[in-house]
Amino acid sequence: MKKILGILITLVAVYVLTAMVGDNFLSAYNQEKLLERTALFGILSIGVAFVIITGGIDLSIGSVVCLTGCGLPWLMVKHEWPPAIAVPMVLVVAALIGLSHGLLITKLNLQPFVVTLCGLLIYRGLTRGFTEDQTQGFGGEFSGLRAVANEKISLTAEFGIPWTWVILVVIAVMAWIFLNKTIYGRYLRALGNNEDAARFSGVNTDRMIILAYVFSSMLAGLGGMLFVMNVGSAQPSNFGNFYELYAIAAAVLGGCSLRGGEGTILGVVIGAAVMRVLYNMINLVTWIPTHIEFAVVGAVILVAVISDELVKRAAARRRVRG
Amino acid sequence: MKIGTRLILGLLLAAFALSGCGEKGPEKKKYGVVTTGVASFWDICKTGAEHAGAELDVEVEVLFPNDGVEQKSKMEDMLSRGVDGIAAAVIDPVNQSEFFDEVADRVEFITMDTDAPDSKRKVYIGVDNYDAGRMCGQLVKEALPDGGKVVMFIGRLEQDNSKRRRQGVIDELLDRSHDSSRFDVPGEVQKGDKYTVLATLTDEFDRAKGKANAEDMLTKHPDVGCFVGLFAYNPPLILEALKQAKKLNVVKVVGFDEEGPTLQGIIDGTVHGTVVQNPYEYGYQSVKVLHALATGADAEIPENKFINIPARQIRKDNVETFWADLNKKLIGE
Amino acid sequence: MSSLLEARGVVKSFPGVKALRGVDLRLGAGEVLAVLGENGAGKSTLMKALAGVQAADGGEFLMNGDPVRVDTVRGAMAAGIALIHQELNMAGNLDVAANIFLGREFRKFGLVDDERMRREAVTYLKMVGLDVDPAVEVGTLPIGKQQLVEIAKALSVDAKVLIMDEPTSSLSQTEAEQLFVVVKDLVSRGVSIIYISHRLSEIVQIADRVTVLRDGENAGELAGDEITHGKMVQLMVGRDVDRFYQRTQHELGEVALEVKELRTTAYPEHAASFQVARGEVVGVAGLVGAGRTEMLEAMFGVMPALGGEVWVQGEKATIGAPREAIAAGLALVPEDRKTQGAILDMAVLENASLASLKRDARKGAFLNREAEEALAEKGIKDLSIRTPDAAQLVRYLSGGNQQKVVLAKWLAMKPKVLLLDEPTRGIDVGAKQEIYGLIEELAKQGMAILFVSSEMEEVMGLSDRVLVMHEGEVAGELKRGGITEEQIMSLATGGVSQELKV
Repeated sequence: MKKILGILITLVAVYVLTAMVGDNFLSAYNQEKLLERTALFGILSIGVAFVIITGGIDLSIGSVVCLTGCGLPWLMVKHEWPPAIAVPMVLVVAALIGLSHGLLITKLNLQPFVVTLCGLLIYRGLTRGFTEDQTQGFGGEFSGLRAVANEKISLTAEFGIPWTWVILVVIAVMAWIFLNKTIYGRYLRALGNNEDAARFSGVNTDRMIILAYVFSSMLAGLGGMLFVMNVGSAQPSNFGNFYELYAIAAAVLGGCSLRGGEGTILGVVIGAAVMRVLYNMINLVTWIPTHIEFAVVGAVILVAVISDELVKRAAARRRVRG
Repeated sequence: MKIGTRLILGLLLAAFALSGCGEKGPEKKKYGVVTTGVASFWDICKTGAEHAGAELDVEVEVLFPNDGVEQKSKMEDMLSRGVDGIAAAVIDPVNQSEFFDEVADRVEFITMDTDAPDSKRKVYIGVDNYDAGRMCGQLVKEALPDGGKVVMFIGRLEQDNSKRRRQGVIDELLDRSHDSSRFDVPGEVQKGDKYTVLATLTDEFDRAKGKANAEDMLTKHPDVGCFVGLFAYNPPLILEALKQAKKLNVVKVVGFDEEGPTLQGIIDGTVHGTVVQNPYEYGYQSVKVLHALATGADAEIPENKFINIPARQIRKDNVETFWADLNKKLIGE
Repeated sequence: MSSLLEARGVVKSFPGVKALRGVDLRLGAGEVLAVLGENGAGKSTLMKALAGVQAADGGEFLMNGDPVRVDTVRGAMAAGIALIHQELNMAGNLDVAANIFLGREFRKFGLVDDERMRREAVTYLKMVGLDVDPAVEVGTLPIGKQQLVEIAKALSVDAKVLIMDEPTSSLSQTEAEQLFVVVKDLVSRGVSIIYISHRLSEIVQIADRVTVLRDGENAGELAGDEITHGKMVQLMVGRDVDRFYQRTQHELGEVALEVKELRTTAYPEHAASFQVARGEVVGVAGLVGAGRTEMLEAMFGVMPALGGEVWVQGEKATIGAPREAIAAGLALVPEDRKTQGAILDMAVLENASLASLKRDARKGAFLNREAEEALAEKGIKDLSIRTPDAAQLVRYLSGGNQQKVVLAKWLAMKPKVLLLDEPTRGIDVGAKQEIYGLIEELAKQGMAILFVSSEMEEVMGLSDRVLVMHEGEVAGELKRGGITEEQIMSLATGGVSQELKV
């Protein structure tokens, strides 16, 4: 709880501020949309959180989103694969991508930054290749499948819980259990803190690192499919551009240290929520010019990270004295 | 050392000679057509360019760069490979002019779709986006005969065609005079007698953001009357947002260009209409004009150096014929 | 003898530790003063304070009776004090002259005047009896010569006091002898030396006076004939040595560990072979860089062995990774507690259970919290780890208790063979004694223990048998009772002992 206090305060602050100065921020529709967007980006962030906890980084997420987001309609519409085959197939491809990252990083000792940076370029290029750079969309079909990403469970006449949010909660709970209640989660955190010590203690560190990259790519793949199901179509040249950075920013906001070892799933989800509320705020608050949005988002993240660091230092100082 | 140098020289000469052997007769003329991005719009343009190429028996290469930097490097590569003329769609008219002048010094150079009026381009083939914008404004007036609030969505605003297109819509809605040099700051609300233009939102081609923009505007302005999507992919995203909010037909939609969901929307009645350009003609005419310039024939360039390929309004009555014809061009027939 | 340098009441604290509690030090002109103490006694801290590397919190510093400020390296240099670092502080890619004049380059028209620097460097190189081309890159010289370059550098700033911190730790016997000649020569020129070493025999050989530190305080002084091995140790340890290293005789069991022709990357052409019996404590001595750590790491699968076999209780173990070594019944307490042993930012509990989690504390893929807690509590109790509770982060424990957490992790595995690499480095005397007691206890229970240590006293006091390594080979074995430091040194530096394998 202590670890996510800072980010929780940030969320509440941004939320209350926007509710005060934004138009119709608290409307049921807007709240639904915030849940939906937080879910879509949150899934990516949980994925990258696993990698960040091992002390690595995954820059390929945006391109995996592109590959899977374009790949799913490409398989289903152009090649007429049934969803029951296309969806698992896309997930398998995403898993293989993660596996290859993990193998290159552990067995060849390449740097995660380099491996996934190359991934960022390769998967986008491949997608633009097999789609011949054409926009891929569902063409108004598959509304049953797409309902997963753009329908909701109605609670009142006005408000309902988006299905994407349900998916996020399921994934977050599973991720939390994995990280905190299984021995493998323990190993992951141990090696993120101190890879040598974990290895010296008999942990199969390579296997755990590979697993983290597989999780990251699979969740990016799932996210990519949900994005395209939500939006309806995807253009290979820019679908998912910069999404790796949104995911990393949310994970860092949520308390993941890029030095590894630290991170809570709840914090990461809250981090993703902060980002989405910020973007929403920029659109709903009339006096914020929309073209400075990057500056606003960057500044808020920086302030959150700085205050988090100051809180940590104060705690450490108390500890030394005590 | 000396022997080595001579050997290399010899090899080079041999290679030169051999490469010449493969050619039969005079070389075909080569032309490049450079777009501003990837879209089905540009595929139709490509079809037009290729048709002209086949008719004239010349080689045509169509490139799809994503931004100004990529466009420049791809055009430079094209020049290095050897080309007789280039037709380019402009991303940034002011800052790219200098580079375009360099291109124009070396090969025949014209602009299409979007113009760089201050460069040494020989001619501009395209639509007057301001006029097209005003046509779009007329569609909004038809959709909202009693007036109302309007929000516009667009990919980015820095390029000339975006600015003029948007200005055309505003001027038409506010019943202003025909003056394409006007520019209203995007952040300001433009209020006329019947119509109020609340905002213009950009998404930098991020589709999730484009959809979120439409959703946020539904939140912020529950009483909005019409959404105008000014880039090809904007109307489909607007439709997705409206569908989930169950506001199809409540908020009117007017579009630009001819993406499938937009045309389907017109058939279904969820989109009032769209303004389409004629990318096929852009491609076709570009190659024809370039070839005339390169071979010294009469290119029939008008005084104002503007070959107008007018835009058209598509409504429920003409959408099906238009779509059938479009599909033929898309598959390159 | 009038004092050249005097320090009075030097105090220095680090978070959680009082490293110096008012230490005095007096150095005469042309004197060699040895400063002695166990690890953690405060000698390095005192030397860093004298040389301005790490300013003291309090205390007076006098040079020729005048107060001087030594809170920066520059200040100490101006006062005439220079530190020759334990780890050499040379830019290996620069030439000898450039290193000597680093930061004080001669210039001509604003550019570095290499020619003049090289000319002047020769003067100082002669003073230390070093005959090398000043234009040669330092990195290409052997360690011993690099050290002489560093001394030359100190002389070039006109140092009156040279502090030498473990100067012979990585030198061969011959190189060390050369160094002593240089030291004596410097003293005859009026330079004073503060000399720090663990090798007591060296100190007997070159020191005029010895001052001993213990737990951050002065423990006593010896001069002239008083400087003997026994007296020095007594002052350092503060009690009778034999009681400090309590060993009882017990029967050794069958062979628990056998290493056959093990070759490592440190010395690919040399192989080590030896045995350790159940209940036996075997110490491994040798110079820094003798390949001891590499040998342990190869046995434990941390780094691949180039060849050789490891047998545990009569079974051949295939070891490609630590987890395979652990499965074979080995455990390793690594050399660097903070980067290899403990996970500082995890709790005592999580550290203690890390190795045995898979075997003892899970339900399927899930953690078995009760089993884990029981295991941690047992570790805390058995090793008397001083921590508020099992949830405390290891970072906030003292060095000794951190090491005990690492030991607890391994004892939970009940290994057949325990490998320890410098197990008491950087921990206080009390914790040291507890760890010695623990080793004795484990040996009694029948565990085979192999430990590497650079502390002569520890090796001699604790071991049933000592293996001395030299360049990747076991140069000799010495049995408990009558092991002398000279024997170890002679074997460690490649000399031949007359008392091999009694």
